[in-house]
This record gives sequence, structure tokens and C-alpha cells, in this order.
Amino acid sequence: MIKLKHIEAIRNGDFTGLPISNTSTAVNMTGSWKFFRPTLKPKKSPCLEACPLHILIADYMQEFAAGNHLNALEILRENNPLPAVTGRVCPHFCQSACNRTDFDEAVLIGDIERALGDLGLTQPYSMESQECQEKAAIIGSGPAGLAAAVFLARSGVKVTIFEQSEAPGGLLRYGIPAYRLPRRILEKEIKNIVESYSIDLRCNHKIKSTDLDNLRKEYDAVIAAPGLTQSSIPETWPETPTVKGALELLAAISRDEPIPGQDFVIIGGGNAALDTARSLKRLGKTVQIIYRRTIDEMPAYPDEIIEAQSEGLLLREETVIEEIIDNGRDLSLNLHRSRKNGDRIEAGDFIETITTDFLIAATGQESSGDFLNCNPELLKAGDFAHGAASVAEALASGRKAAETTLRKFGRLPDDSITDQETQNLPPITFAALHLNYYSKKPALKIPQLDEQTRSDNFSEIHLGLSLEQLEIEAERCFHCGSCTTCGICWFFCPDVAIAINRESDNAESQILFDYDHCKGCGQCAEVCPRGVIEMEEDL
Amino acid sequence: MEKPAILLGSEAVAHGVKLCRPQVISAYPITPQTHIIETLSEMVDSGELKSQYIKVESEMSAIAAVLGSVSAGSRSFTASSSQGLAMMHEILHWYAGARLPLVLVNANRALGGPWNIWSDQSDSFSQRDTGWLQIYCETSQEALDTIIMAYKASEQLMLPIMVMIDGFILSHTMERLMIPTPKMVDDFLPPYKAPYQLDPENPLTFGAGAHPDLFYELKKAYSETMTEALTLIDQCQAEFAQKFNRHYDVIMHCQEGDKDSDTAVICCGAMTGTARVASEMLNENGTSVDLFKLRLLRPFPKTALITALKNKKRVIVLNRACSYGVGGTLSQEIRTALYDLPEHPIVNDVMISLGGKEVFPETIVKIVNDREQLSATEPNWL
Ligand SMILES: Cc1cc2nc3c(=O)[nH]c(=O)nc-3n(C[C@H](O)[C@H](O)[C@H](O)COP(=O)(O)OP(=O)(O)OC[C@H]3O[C@@H](n4cnc5c(N)ncnc54)[C@H](O)[C@@H]3O)c2cc1C
Ligand code: SF4
Ligand code: SF4
Repeated sequence: MIKLKHIEAIRNGDFTGLPISNTSTAVNMTGSWKFFRPTLKPKKSPCLEACPLHILIADYMQEFAAGNHLNALEILRENNPLPAVTGRVCPHFCQSACNRTDFDEAVLIGDIERALGDLGLTQPYSMESQECQEKAAIIGSGPAGLAAAVFLARSGVKVTIFEQSEAPGGLLRYGIPAYRLPRRILEKEIKNIVESYSIDLRCNHKIKSTDLDNLRKEYDAVIAAPGLTQSSIPETWPETPTVKGALELLAAISRDEPIPGQDFVIIGGGNAALDTARSLKRLGKTVQIIYRRTIDEMPAYPDEIIEAQSEGLLLREETVIEEIIDNGRDLSLNLHRSRKNGDRIEAGDFIETITTDFLIAATGQESSGDFLNCNPELLKAGDFAHGAASVAEALASGRKAAETTLRKFGRLPDDSITDQETQNLPPITFAALHLNYYSKKPALKIPQLDEQTRSDNFSEIHLGLSLEQLEIEAERCFHCGSCTTCGICWFFCPDVAIAINRESDNAESQILFDYDHCKGCGQCAEVCPRGVIEMEEDL
Repeated sequence: MEKPAILLGSEAVAHGVKLCRPQVISAYPITPQTHIIETLSEMVDSGELKSQYIKVESEMSAIAAVLGSVSAGSRSFTASSSQGLAMMHEILHWYAGARLPLVLVNANRALGGPWNIWSDQSDSFSQRDTGWLQIYCETSQEALDTIIMAYKASEQLMLPIMVMIDGFILSHTMERLMIPTPKMVDDFLPPYKAPYQLDPENPLTFGAGAHPDLFYELKKAYSETMTEALTLIDQCQAEFAQKFNRHYDVIMHCQEGDKDSDTAVICCGAMTGTARVASEMLNENGTSVDLFKLRLLRPFPKTALITALKNKKRVIVLNRACSYGVGGTLSQEIRTALYDLPEHPIVNDVMISLGGKEVFPETIVKIVNDREQLSATEPNWL
């Protein structure tokens, strides 16, 4: 019988003749061959860059999609103190910049923000540090004032807000109509802030120029956020009770005051014009908007214009009022076609004369607090500081004022956390993503009340979706520029030189490169779906 | 009890594979092999074969996928042909060098160019030096049986085995054959128990860098194992014959001539069937020849060949693969083996077919009848 030495050896578990070894290849430092090394380079997502509040959208989407709603809310609140509000009324700068637009459709960031905001209505806000000695006074409880209050109080500062109106919110309450921002939601969100941070909110307390000195004595810092809450009425218009400002009318509607008159003509093309017109229509009035340029040129948010038109609102574009005749009880208006003369717009051909009960100016906003301007030491925030803008910008400006104040108190490092973490990073473009791992999927459809149902009341038009439904939407997010520890780099690395530690809370240490064995082939950088890994020279 | 069936060669292969219960199958379609993996994928889909079927984008990936699955301790299967086998070439070397078992079925087909999909053994002959065992089959029954034996040998040797069927001639032709019962095969072929495998609990390094002396030692052991394989394969074939009552040998004497017949014809694969008819015709007409078929090309059964041919004055080798600039590849193998005889027979190297060129019994009869005119040193083209 021939002896089968080698076959016997295998049978007996002796592998000496085989290329199998129970020692590690780790001694072979293949890493010494490399000329390039991979590094984690997280990037700003375009949505974050576009959002005035620089919300860490890519990060909270990840938590949200995983069903960790409260974690997502926590990340969202780090930068945004009023998510139930902005989720409804912000024009969603983020969505217009979303990388997913180039793939199929933008992620519905606003709707997810809104759902998280609503979830947060019953979740107290978290504190960052213990109480301290400093006290701050804030003038105005609009979004700018509220944001300043939150970010100061979060660091332990004792905050007092002075609000001249009987209730807080500024234009959120007395400007934006309830069908876009239900009062119940606004009140709950503000109440939650006030209670979570023990803010001393003093309504019906108007600050006058004579109060300023005392305020400055009593408080370590004063922030002025009085907004632009008055309509500016063109000087050429007659001063008569049948001419009114849009903001004053909106405030009256918001307070449920009776609105006399039947026919209304509104001049302007911004949000104030549309909100006034749509509110009046809901009260059964006859309304038309007269705008001197084309509808496409209206500064109001495009979605608002589309909704207003679907509600049957009469929009007369390229029309100007050449003459206003005060008839005492009502007004006669001579309408002309508008004509461009260089940059100016002037009256062209006569169209017709119409009669109306009220003429409403929605042509601009001004401040009632000019006396605050005289004080150069006062920190300013919101519309009052930067001109009429948006809620998100007002919030951002309020936060900035708070950060400046904290820095003055020596309670914040030189640069704020959010600025450091996000502003200095390079942004990530659509082209830098590797999208083989994604399939096309349209955005969810958000239900709304139909025109019939909403025509005579102030019920919220947009109905929103449940958190569970929106998880599917959040899954569409690419998490541009943020490592999600998806593990694709780990899978492809031919040298087993990547380790993933999902337990670590520090993003930096979740992906570990073993540079002793990484050969620098660059496959990880090539396959990273989110463009987080970059190769740099290693000489 | 075995069941009779009428099947295409490719289906017979699939049934043979199924009986061996591979846990992983990965392959990429290519004519004339496609039916094999189509049949297997249907078996997996219907649940009659419990196996993981990995779809891949190329033959390179198919062989790499089973390299992975076998490293992890599973019995696996792949099949290919022609350009597909050529594409696997790099991994074929690595696979063998890694000392892992596998059965790969290759449906022999010409390599381009020019484009040709017909039967030709150049594809597998040109993989002779990759370290794989190679077995050539004459019939679909033989292919089915060989697959079962091949798994058994492969897993004891820890070496991969390539089983050849001729494209179209076997793959696309119906044959009546016997299908063994699962129990018979289970008794013959126990489940694969990997002596070593990828296991996070017990880490091992597979095919790590070997310094020159170690490399040399490992290859020497490899070569010695190939020699041992000759004995092991004999044992497998004997055990198979006992259990299944079908006899196979590394070299088979298919047609016996007279006692004093001094001419032998030798070939491999499906052409043997045609040669059987031709040698019957020759013997009936007074030209006595012996017909042999070579089943095992690697390791080369030199001793068995010498024993079979030692009394012959002339050996006519019918080739279906060519090493250009030398001649028929099979002829070279046979000539080299016969060199060890004190008195060599004449070896006539006949390039009988390439790219599916038809071989009729009359073609072979004429070659043998005109044997005196054949060159003994140069390849003989028709
Ligand atoms: C009709 C309308 C619709 C709009 N729609 C949208 C929208 O859909 N989305 C969006 O992003 N933006 C919208 N905006 C813009 C947005 O509402 C404002 O940019 C934002 O509210 C400005 O915030 P703020 O805190 O600076 O001021 P405000 O919201 O104006 O708040 C200022 C507060 O200060 C109080 N105050 C003023 N003076 C004093 C004083 N002397 N003492 C005490 N309190 C004082 C006021 O009563 C008021 O409550 C809209 C604006 C208008 C007019
Ligand atoms: S605040 Fe506005 S821009 Fe920022 S994330 Fe929310 S919806 Fe988008
Ligand atoms: S895909 Fe996600 S991270 Fe990227 S821009 Fe859109 S919302 Fe932001």
C-alpha cells in the first residue's frame, strides 16, 4: 500500500505543507508602501449651509430615520429653538439647496422639522449649564427676542423679556395668519421655552426711551429685538380712516376684532399683501391685490402665491394707482397699466376707475422703536437689526446676539460651537457624492385641506404626516458630508485597515484607519457614498 | 434504486451537482455552459436544492466568490467555458495555491479569435499549469458520476478539480442515463468538513506572504500531493464502482485489437465515442487497433499510460487542442510520458479537430489506414 503522506497529514490536522498559518500578517507593515493616506473630512451639507440657523440636518435625519426621534429633536434644538414654527412658516432655504434635487426631489426637511417640533411641544428643553449671576433684558418677544432668550438662558443667564403686546410671538402671532401657523402650536412652543428656561416674560410692558437707563443699570446686558411691526404707508396717500396698513389689519384679525367694510384693495406683492388678502377672504370680504410688476416678480413665497391663486384670489399684475379720490365713506382709485422707465415704474395707459371701502398698504414695514437706534451700545437683533427678512434669519440673529453677550460675559469660547463646527468646513457638491447606493424615490405627498374646506375659516391648510410616515422620507436623505458609519469603506478596504466603532459618540473616532497596514489604494475614498473620506499625500 | 432519465449533458451535470449538495453556487453564463447554471438556479429557486446562489458580473467574480465561500468552509460549485475560463485564469492559480477544494465544470469551447463557440479543448488544456486536477468525460453519465467522485477526491486533497465536457457534443445532446439516489451519493460523499476555514473565533491567515524558501517547500509539497492524488483517485473510482456499479479509470481501454495489434489510438473527451465506432470498423476490416481514452490529464497518469502502451509500435494521438509552434497538446503529454520507455513507439501527432470541425468515424478510419504516411515528428494536419 502506497503511503499518502500529505493526504494523511491533512486528515490528521497537520497543515505544515499548506499555505495556512495561525500567525497574523500584522507584522507585514504594508502601510509603509503608501504615498496617500485616507482621512475623515466631514463636510457641510448644502442644506446646512443654506439654513440661516445652520441646523445639523444631515445628522438629525440619520437619528430620525433610525426611529430615534428624541435624539433627532435634541440635535435640531441645538440650533433651532422654534422648530414647530419654522417647520411651518420657514420658506425652507434648506430644501432649495438639497443635493437630492439633482437626483430626484428635495428631501422634505421642513415637514420633518415640523413633526419633530410638534413632538417637542411636550418635551422640556434641556439646559447646558448651571445658573450664573448675569442677568439680561430683551426687548421684544418675536423670534429674534425668543432665540436670544433661549441661548442666553441655556447658559444659565437670567433672562427677562419685555413685550408691549398682550401676548408673545411678535409677527408670528400678529402677522402670520393662523391657517399657516395655528395659535395653539405657537402658544405651546413659546410656553415650553418660557417654562423650560424659567424666562421672566413680561407682556403688556412697553419699553420707552425713558426706561433705557434703568434697564442698563438693572441688567448686565440689553438686547433690542423690537422688529418692524408697523406698516409704512406711502406719503402721497390721503390720511383718512379708509386707508390702513396691512400689519395693523392682520393684528386686528389675529385679535378677532370686528373688521368693518366689504371691498378691499391691497397694494403690494409681499407676504403681508397675500396674508392680508387671504385672511380677509376667509372673513367673507371682496379682495383684490394690485401689484405694479408681474406676478413672477412678486417677493412673496412662490408656494403662497400658488395657494392664493387656487383659492381664487384676484391678483392684478402690472397695475398702478395713479390717483386716489377720497369720497368720505369710500375711495375711488384710477388704475393705470404700469410702464418701465429704466429702473423706475410709472403709470402708463389708463385702465379704469374702481371704488373700494378700504385701501390697504402692504408696501413696507417700519419700526416703532427708533429711539433704540440712538443707543450705539445696545445689541440689536432680528428685523430691527437687518431689515425685514424671515423667521429663521430672525432666530439666527437672536442667537448671534446671545452669543456676543455670552462672550462678553466670558462664558463662551471665542467662536461659537456651531460656527466652528460648520462654517469652516468645505461644502459638499452633488458631484462629490457617490450615488450608486441610492435608488430614485419621489418625496412623500403632504396632505392639505382642499380650497372648499378652507375657504371660510382659519384651520391649518397643511396637515402634516406622522413621525413613522416621515421616517421613510428621512431615509431619502444622503447625509451629505456626514459619516453615518455605513461600513461601505470597511467592506471594500482590501487590507482590512479600517475599523468601525459605532459605540463611540465622537464622529472622529468612529472610523479608525490602521495606517500601519493601509496601502493607500484609495478605494475607501472612492466608494464613500457621502464624500467624507479624502486621500491626502503621505510622504 | 437509480432512476433512468433522458437529459441534456448540461442537465446531467446539474443533477450530479445537486446530488453533491453544494452550499454555494456562483457562476456567470456563457455558451455552451449556460444550461448548467440555469438548471441549477431553477433548482435553487424551486427549493429542491438548498444552496446560496450568488449572481455575479463576470467569471472572475464567480471564481473569486467561491474562493471566499470555500474559505469559509462550504462546499461550492462553479462552471464556465472558453473565454470565461480564460478570464478566471489568474484566480485559478491562486485558488489551487490556496489549497482549497472545489469542482468546476468546463464545457469545452474554442477561444477566439476568430469568434467560434464550438467544441475545442484549447480552453482547458491551456490551464494545465494552474495546479488544478483535470478530468475529461466521454459521456454525460460519465460527467455526472465524475462530479461526485471529484468532490470526494478534491476535499481529501484540498485541491480543486476541473471536470470537462465537450461543448454542444455533450452539453447540448440528449442521453439516456441513470441518476443515483440522494442516499447513494450521501453514503459515498459525506458533507464537507473543512480542515481549516475562515472563523473569527479561531483566526488563521490564508495564503499570506511566503519567503522564498518557504514558498519552495510549499510548492514541493503541492507537487507531491499531486502525485498522491493518482492513488487517491484510483481509490475513489474503485469505491464508486463498488457502490454504483460503473467503472472508471484514469486511462480506459475502450476497444481491444488482436493480441498482436501494434497500433493504438488515443484521445480524450466525447470524441472517444466516434473513435469507438471507427475502431470497430477498422477491426472488422482487418486493421487491428486498440483504442484508449485519457480521463485524467492532471496529475498525468504516466505509469498507467506506460503500462497501457508499452507493447505498441505506433500511437496515434487525436488532438482537439493545439500548442502552436509545437503541435497537438495531448500529443506532447503522451510523448513526454513514453520517453521513459526503453523503446519508444512512434507517436503520430494528429490535429484532427479545432473549433468544432466535425470528426466522422471515416475520418479516423482513413487516418489509421494511411498511418504509414503520417509524420512521426511533425504535427499532422488533415
Ligand atoms: C405678514 C407677514 C408674514 C410673514 N410670513 C413669514 C413667513 O411665512 N416665513 C418667514 O420666515 N417669515 C415671515 N415673515 C417675516 C417674519 O415674521 C419676521 O421676519 C420675523 O417675525 C421678525 O422677527 P423679530 O423678532 O425681529 O420681530 P417681530 O416678530 O416683529 O417681533 C418684535 C416684537 O417686539 C415687540 N416690541 C416692539 N417694540 C417694543 C417695545 N418698545 N417694547 C416692548 N416690546 C416691543 C413687538 O410687539 C413684537 O412682539 C412675515 C412677515 C409678515 C409681516
Ligand atoms: S429653519 Fe428653515 S431653512 Fe433651516 S432647516 Fe428649518 S426649514 Fe430649513
Ligand atoms: S440629501 Fe440630506 S444632507 Fe443632503 S442636502 Fe438634502 S437634506 Fe441635506
